[in-house]
Amino acid sequence: MLYLLGINHRTADLATREKLWLSDEEIRTLLPAFHRQFFEECFIVSTCNRTELYGVPLSKHSFASDTELFDAVERQMIAVKNAGEEVSSEHFYRLKDMHAAKHLMKVATGLDSMVLGDVQILNQLRQHYDLAAELKTSGAILNKLLQTAFHAGKRTKSETEISKGAVSVSYAAVDLAAKIFFDLGEKTALLIGAGETGELTARHLVSRGIGKLLITNRTLEKAETLAAELRAAAIPFNRFNEHLHNVDMVISSVNSTGFVLSKAELDAVFDNRKRSPLLIVDIGVPRNIDPEVNSIENVFLHDMDTLSRIVQQSLRRRHECIPEVNEIILDELTEFHRWHKSHAVAPILDEVRAVYESIRSEELIQHIHKFRPDDKELVEHVTKRIIHRLMQLPASELRNGIDDTPEQKEMKLHMVRKLFGLNGESHSKEKE
Amino acid sequence: MKMIIDVLTVILPFFYLVTVIAYGYAFIPKKPAAKKFKTPLLIATIVVHLLYIILRTIYFVHPPIISVFEILSLLAFSIAASYRIIEIRTGIKNTGFLILLLSLIFQTISSLFIQDLYEVNPILRNNLLGIHVLSALIGYSAFTISAVYGLMYLLQYHNLKTNTLGIFFDNLPNLERLEHLTHNAITVGFLLLTIAIIIGVAWLPHAFEEYSFLDPKLLGTLLVWVMYGVGLFMIKRGKRTGKQIMKLAISGFLVSIFSLTIINLYFSSFHNFF
Repeated sequence: MLYLLGINHRTADLATREKLWLSDEEIRTLLPAFHRQFFEECFIVSTCNRTELYGVPLSKHSFASDTELFDAVERQMIAVKNAGEEVSSEHFYRLKDMHAAKHLMKVATGLDSMVLGDVQILNQLRQHYDLAAELKTSGAILNKLLQTAFHAGKRTKSETEISKGAVSVSYAAVDLAAKIFFDLGEKTALLIGAGETGELTARHLVSRGIGKLLITNRTLEKAETLAAELRAAAIPFNRFNEHLHNVDMVISSVNSTGFVLSKAELDAVFDNRKRSPLLIVDIGVPRNIDPEVNSIENVFLHDMDTLSRIVQQSLRRRHECIPEVNEIILDELTEFHRWHKSHAVAPILDEVRAVYESIRSEELIQHIHKFRPDDKELVEHVTKRIIHRLMQLPASELRNGIDDTPEQKEMKLHMVRKLFGLNGESHSKEKE
Repeated sequence: MKMIIDVLTVILPFFYLVTVIAYGYAFIPKKPAAKKFKTPLLIATIVVHLLYIILRTIYFVHPPIISVFEILSLLAFSIAASYRIIEIRTGIKNTGFLILLLSLIFQTISSLFIQDLYEVNPILRNNLLGIHVLSALIGYSAFTISAVYGLMYLLQYHNLKTNTLGIFFDNLPNLERLEHLTHNAITVGFLLLTIAIIIGVAWLPHAFEEYSFLDPKLLGTLLVWVMYGVGLFMIKRGKRTGKQIMKLAISGFLVSIFSLTIINLYFSSFHNFF
């Protein structure tokens, strides 16, 4: 049995999700409490886009139905966050067993992310799993489930293109730079205008290791503030032309009725550049850069239209990858399902093995003196091997019955218990 | 052994075809299976081709460098092997489709027309000939690879200039990397061709009575050498960058192919040995 209770960007808006967001400290308090009251194993993941609780219920609990258990957990989550006014049952989804497992696979592979293919969630899942492991609230089932999810996420990242390509205008500008330059660490970028999109692009460039960043703005103080934050250099707006021969990339996002850079101005400095490539990203509306500059050899001018097309194309490609990711999920779920079924029969197999082992020990004690001392070790080995081989057939039959109905499964277990006089059998007889 | 050689002659183009298809699938629809198998397929093709060259050398008692079709097979092998070295050194594994296509074409032509040459001019058993042909062949392979990278550069340049998004935009390496690869390939090709020419000029007058500096094959090779030499000099002086280097790589390759094939087939030359 696996339960999932969650709230995410599909079921609740940001304000509602914020109300249920759990810090690590809150999870440290909540997880052991849930572990005591409801679950043998439990795990919580909480990010800006989702808060989800996965749990394997206690074998003996006082709830008459699944709904009652879900209700109780939900009430407690809302109560802990004091979110009764904003959060209600309709914001939650409740899934069970393989549906819950499949949901986790979708989360880990980025299929359920707000931006399709955003696999940052994989790191967040790992961190939250570490927390559950530290608090000892995860057990065999959740460990296996999460390892399977991590594997699915890793495979998705390496085997498909779902996480590739820029999905925002600012990323698209940086991706364009990567199509021209080999090593951004050796390049210099000039940001004209410290507006929101320009600033975001500059931040992405810094995160991708741009060698040097120059920032200019009509208000120099604003450029200086951003430059200090990004470890860049601020230059006066009326003198940025003097730096054009040294820069490899220009990002322009100023409010301007005319062009801030004309073809003639660029032509004038271009001979000093040894005609090395210059990428100009014009994200100003109306446009900041004279479109004629694109006619200069080795100058690559791109505007909002190009960037938007790159983003749309990336998103379309990501959508095309969904069937591939679903195949990975199916593979991994099948593997988990197989493991889970065999895990379910592990206790009874242990009991059967114990029965054989006790017979073996008794017989050895009784007859070992009949063998030569030199042969004792061999006898030990051979008798253990016999048990091992005797166990193989029933173990394989029980583990491989993946497609058995619950009734067939129960019947098989019943037969095994009966044949070997196991505790489970006597227990069920007592119940009868 | 003859039967194995005959079988390999027939199946080698298919090895290249399967490898090119795998690289194509990894390049265009980006099939994960193709991505996984393309490099092992390439390695298998190179190994089979090497075996083919060794068997031919043993059975016909001369390295396969005598006829234009033997040389085309060696060129196909040399391009594939050089490409694999580039893959290992640069980590760029998505350009094989275009480069190996040339190996496929060369090997297919070779397999269709190659003959069993039992009789070989004794002059051609000289050790210097081996070095001469080997350095010329690897040099031409380097020029071929430089031309393919040059073509890729021009494609990517065009995409970036015209905002054309698509398969090539996504899959081709960045301009600086392509320029670097092209420049390196031209330099290696030029050095090896220089060695081939020096050995040729020193050895040929002793080997051939009808030797002439006005031989069309020699003039063709010299033209290729001068073209690349002048180009490299201009690059060194900083007067040629980007597109111009690529145009040099492509035009140099075309002249090389002309020198290697058309002149061999249609012009009378002391340099033809079959």
